[in-house]
Amino acid sequence: MIQVNDLYFSYTTKPFIEAMNFTVEKGEIFGFLGPSGAGKSTLQKILLGMLPGYRGSAIVNGTECRHRTNRFYENIGVDFEFSTMYEKLSARENLQFFSSLYEKSGRPIEELLEMVGLQNDADKRVADFSKGMKSRLNFIKALLHDPALLFLDEPTSGLDPANNRMMKDLILEEKKREKTILLTTHNMQDATELCDRVAFIANGKIYALDSPHNLIMSKGATRVTYTWMDHGEHTASCPIDRLSGDEVLQKLIAQNRLKSIHSSEPTLNDIFMEITGRTLL
Amino acid sequence: MKAICKSFWQMLSFVKRDMMLFAACAAPVLAGIIIRLGVPLLEDKLAKWLELPRILTPFYGLFDLFYAMIAPTMFCFVTAMVMLEEHDDRIDEYLIVTGLGKSGYLASRVFLPAAIAFVVTLVLLPLFHLTELTVLETLFLSLTGTLQGSIIELLIVTLSSNKLEGMAITKMATMMILGAFLPYFMSHPIQYVASILPSFWAAKAIYEQNVLFMLPAVGTAGVWIGCLLMIHATHPHQK
Ligand SMILES: Nc1ncnc2c1ncn2[C@@H]1O[C@H](COP(=O)(O)OP(=O)(O)OP(=O)(O)O)[C@@H](O)[C@H]1O
Ligand SMILES: [Mg+2]
Repeated sequence: MIQVNDLYFSYTTKPFIEAMNFTVEKGEIFGFLGPSGAGKSTLQKILLGMLPGYRGSAIVNGTECRHRTNRFYENIGVDFEFSTMYEKLSARENLQFFSSLYEKSGRPIEELLEMVGLQNDADKRVADFSKGMKSRLNFIKALLHDPALLFLDEPTSGLDPANNRMMKDLILEEKKREKTILLTTHNMQDATELCDRVAFIANGKIYALDSPHNLIMSKGATRVTYTWMDHGEHTASCPIDRLSGDEVLQKLIAQNRLKSIHSSEPTLNDIFMEITGRTLL
Repeated sequence: MKAICKSFWQMLSFVKRDMMLFAACAAPVLAGIIIRLGVPLLEDKLAKWLELPRILTPFYGLFDLFYAMIAPTMFCFVTAMVMLEEHDDRIDEYLIVTGLGKSGYLASRVFLPAAIAFVVTLVLLPLFHLTELTVLETLFLSLTGTLQGSIIELLIVTLSSNKLEGMAITKMATMMILGAFLPYFMSHPIQYVASILPSFWAAKAIYEQNVLFMLPAVGTAGVWIGCLLMIHATHPHQK
């Protein structure tokens, strides 16, 4: 679906996106995970043909992005990180207009509205929508022409837990319909839950690229951390698969001197920090 | 093509809701009636009162020149306002990644309105003119009027980033049409200070009854539009 080879891009003379290589397979949810300013949106814009001044190659749906024509967008649905709706018009009027811009007939508007629970608000002005309603509306706008490829820029950010959950379910629903989905996020939990593979992006570079599970496993297994008192509090930790060799722990257990003990899996967040030296927020 | 038409209809249905924009679209006909009936009447009264044979008559050509710019300027002002509103809602950024595309958006917001303004002027000018106009002159005035309107529209959308700024820029950009006064009121060498303005050359062509001046009129307008389109393409307003 997407092949990126030796991609370079900068808004200024200073290098920004450097030597990027990756491919995205059909039917995959591929995530760009990185802190603010990492270049996630920039990368999406390159793949959308909005920034044709890049070096290297970026092929989306068989088209080199800088050579895209309007036909290129017949098979691509986009949800930017901000709302792009006529605020003065109703939700339905907006969807009808955007839907009419494609050659394909696409999906029925009523069905989409129902899918995100907006069927009763369809005639309200978008300006009167709440943030969560707006992001659901913008999401179905990307589905109007039933594209095979979806670009979602921070689809879950800034949403309350209920809307966040709903959005994630909607995205997974599209995956079931065999859509290829490219999303950006700085929320590692969402990335773990949604993505088949994630690319760690910081400062315009990809630091790691794998499935969330492999990334987490690559950096050590679950660790056990325990504390005990011995002229003040002491803490130690040990990988879960080496517990039998930890003599201090054996002794503490035998003497019933443990104050606390817990196991912790590394999160994608920890791994991100370890690999890129940066936090996600 | 379908997308361009849909996008154009969208603009029309949008304009219908906004009384001010709607009124701007109706203005050319009203202005035509006022000029066609009012100006000769005023000339009559003035001449009697001041006891002179002709006062406004020598400037009837100027009225026709300005009249040819009314419809295009109004239409283009309306589209510019719609474009600024779309910019506020960030619709313009989104349309780039739809079946409409950047070129389709420009076609539906700049070229199509201009073409319609041209046709409307071509129809209205023979109805509301004050001087005798040849077919060539009618075509020429409609064309320069349309080009002038498009220049104003592009100035508004490239120089302003919201409707409020747009209003201010509109006032300034509309000054461009004042170039038409110079051939009528300024002596020869001085009037050429306005030679970058298409309206100046258009007025010269009419005032001096010289078709040759039609070339720089259309040429300068072409350069203005070319430059503005280039600036618009390379500096898309970012929020
Ligand atoms: N049009 C532009 N011109 C110049 N610089 C830009 C432009 N757009 C973005 N940048 C810069 O590029 C860098 C990356 O921006 P980008 O929007 O890609 O980050 P991001 O990873 O999407 O961040 P966020 O999580 O905040 O959305 C930033 O330093 C930003 O200032
Ligand atoms: Mg971003």
